[in-house]
Amino acid sequence: MELVVRKNEFLRELQLFQGIVERKNTIPILANVLIEAKDSEVRMLATDLEVALRSRCDASVAKGGSLTLPAKKLYEIIKALPETDVRIDEDKNGVRVAADRFDSRIQTLPREDFPTLPEATGASRVVLPRDAVREMIAKTQFAITGEDTRYFLNGALFVLRSDSMSLVATDGHRLALVSVARGADAAAKDGEEAKAILPKKTLLELGKLLAESDGDIYYERGENHLFFEVGGRMLISRMIDGQFPAYERVIPKGNDKEIEFERERLTNAVKRVALLSNERSRAVKFEIDKGRVEVTSSSSEFGEAREQIPVEYNGGAMAISFNAQYVLDFLNVVGTDIVALSLKDEVSQAVMKPVGAAGYDYTYVIMPMRI
Amino acid sequence: MDAFYASVEQRDNPALRGRPVAVGGDPETRGVVAAASYEARTFGVRSAISMAKAVRLCPSLVIVRPDISKYKAVSRQVFELFRSVTPLVEPLSLDEAYLDVTENAWDEPLGTSVAKRLKDAIRAATGLTASAGVAPNKFLAKIASGWKKPDGLTVIAPERVESFLQQLPVDALWGVGPVTAGKLRDKGIERLVDVRTADPALLHDTVGSLAGWLRQLARGIDDRPVIAEHEPKSSGSENTYAQDLLEIDHIRREIAAMAQDAAEWLASRELFARTVTIKVRYHDFTTITRSHTEAPTRNGANIVARAMALVSRTAAGCQPVRLLGVSVHNLTRTLADEQPRDEGPQLGLPFET
Repeated sequence: MELVVRKNEFLRELQLFQGIVERKNTIPILANVLIEAKDSEVRMLATDLEVALRSRCDASVAKGGSLTLPAKKLYEIIKALPETDVRIDEDKNGVRVAADRFDSRIQTLPREDFPTLPEATGASRVVLPRDAVREMIAKTQFAITGEDTRYFLNGALFVLRSDSMSLVATDGHRLALVSVARGADAAAKDGEEAKAILPKKTLLELGKLLAESDGDIYYERGENHLFFEVGGRMLISRMIDGQFPAYERVIPKGNDKEIEFERERLTNAVKRVALLSNERSRAVKFEIDKGRVEVTSSSSEFGEAREQIPVEYNGGAMAISFNAQYVLDFLNVVGTDIVALSLKDEVSQAVMKPVGAAGYDYTYVIMPMRI
Repeated sequence: MDAFYASVEQRDNPALRGRPVAVGGDPETRGVVAAASYEARTFGVRSAISMAKAVRLCPSLVIVRPDISKYKAVSRQVFELFRSVTPLVEPLSLDEAYLDVTENAWDEPLGTSVAKRLKDAIRAATGLTASAGVAPNKFLAKIASGWKKPDGLTVIAPERVESFLQQLPVDALWGVGPVTAGKLRDKGIERLVDVRTADPALLHDTVGSLAGWLRQLARGIDDRPVIAEHEPKSSGSENTYAQDLLEIDHIRREIAAMAQDAAEWLASRELFARTVTIKVRYHDFTTITRSHTEAPTRNGANIVARAMALVSRTAAGCQPVRLLGVSVHNLTRTLADEQPRDEGPQLGLPFET
């Protein structure tokens, strides 16, 4: 194999692979990116067996072929090079990466060891608007549990209907749901729902990919894998086995107390008051009464804090506690200037929603803490 | 239990009754005898000798492949009987245990009566015979249990301990094998009671740190309590495959079967597990484990599903696999989550489970 590629173009692609390759390195080949040179392009592929990314960039190929190189090292080298042409060639002694006066020889691993990945068939391809998907990811991703507690919660549920799509994530304590309308799609049959649980890492990498790419997403659901193609790059993801909980049933209907807040004011109050919350529970209490909400905290170790926020509220007095981080997670991504909090009582699900959101519906369900 | 594995096989297959039976491996491939029936023992066939030798000793020997899960099931029956009599049951193996019957569920004042009733109960429940030794301590009870077999019952009442000790050779003791016994005989110590009069320094030179223990036993003293089996901390199984597994569906079936076994074990012990772990060894011997912890369960479908999800987090199906294992950990007696994931007061969303 012998090829020449522009440093900046190559680097931009390699950067996208940094999150894909396996970090724990239990299987050496998964730390490598597969590089295939053919015609006038170089194609790249990396995977950790959960998520894979396929990408390409223009190149002048003197001799076609394929080889694997450590993704991280290659990225570091290319990044450190001046803006020039990079030459990659393989001879019987190994793989050379050279540019300008720089020359290097990098360890390779046999191309045959690289796993085979499923291919999209294009059969059931649907078009998804890129910005809407990006927003859905940003507004739900944080609610996916980080640990393997309930494994099916290690991902977000993507529901595709003929006229809308939703993404929902929960860690068992709070739940974030975003739904977006989509234009009528001939491919999806009326009323039919297609559901898939996407791993957390897929959402993270898809989010990065969408930020870097232009154009719509071509989405396809295979037997065990999902394919997202955008801007000439293809993200392939395993689906998580398992039954996502019946999320619709935990979204309360009868929350009769509703309070609107200025997002920024509430964010700042919660941030400040949380500084003196119990370090483990991070609990902040909302003491609600006519015309005001007082956000309070207390920590046996450090002391206590309170901040009053004037609101329009005429219902009965009540108090409810939340994990401050759960509240802030929502406020950080919500986007509208006004947010609404609706409540039933101090032990039932509270709901936070944006007020005046256009083009999407965002519901954040949050379980209180015992006072 | 008398000739345990062999007796179970003879019980389940009438064609084997009255014939010399050895349970164990293939004589062609370095198999050994795991258990020999009493008919086989008359030919000199006993456990731990090679199956090839066993066949030479007894050409009419019937070789039966061991079915450990069957023996375990019988063992569970027997131990259930033991535990219905006293909680102080100290297992030595699948088919042998110490029981402290000082207090017993039958309120029998005599150990001998307890032993008789237990032997009868075992025979009624399993169709198998057991031999028992009744004595004031573990060391004497162990020797007594082997005194008469099969279907034996040997009692060493406190007043008969001394006369019993007088007749014991030194190698009747646990921990005294042929080599040590030979050394002791060279020093003129033939019987256990000779230890009493032996020069302590000489004894120490001969058996080392065992000397003090031997002197105690020579006087019939053994204060070790019967310690009920420790609560199990985990259980699991693993399997090395004769040929590497390549097919993900095959791997999943294997994992599912092992996960189901783990669930059944939990049910048999009346336990719940919070953690499911799978182990995968690839063809190049790289070994990884993946674990998943949530609320306690012993539901087979749940444990299988959790193990399946863990398979997805391995390279199984992409890399050839030589070993698979499934185990359950973090065992609890109740469904209540004793170590809640929550930080105390945080409430959970009311998902239906």
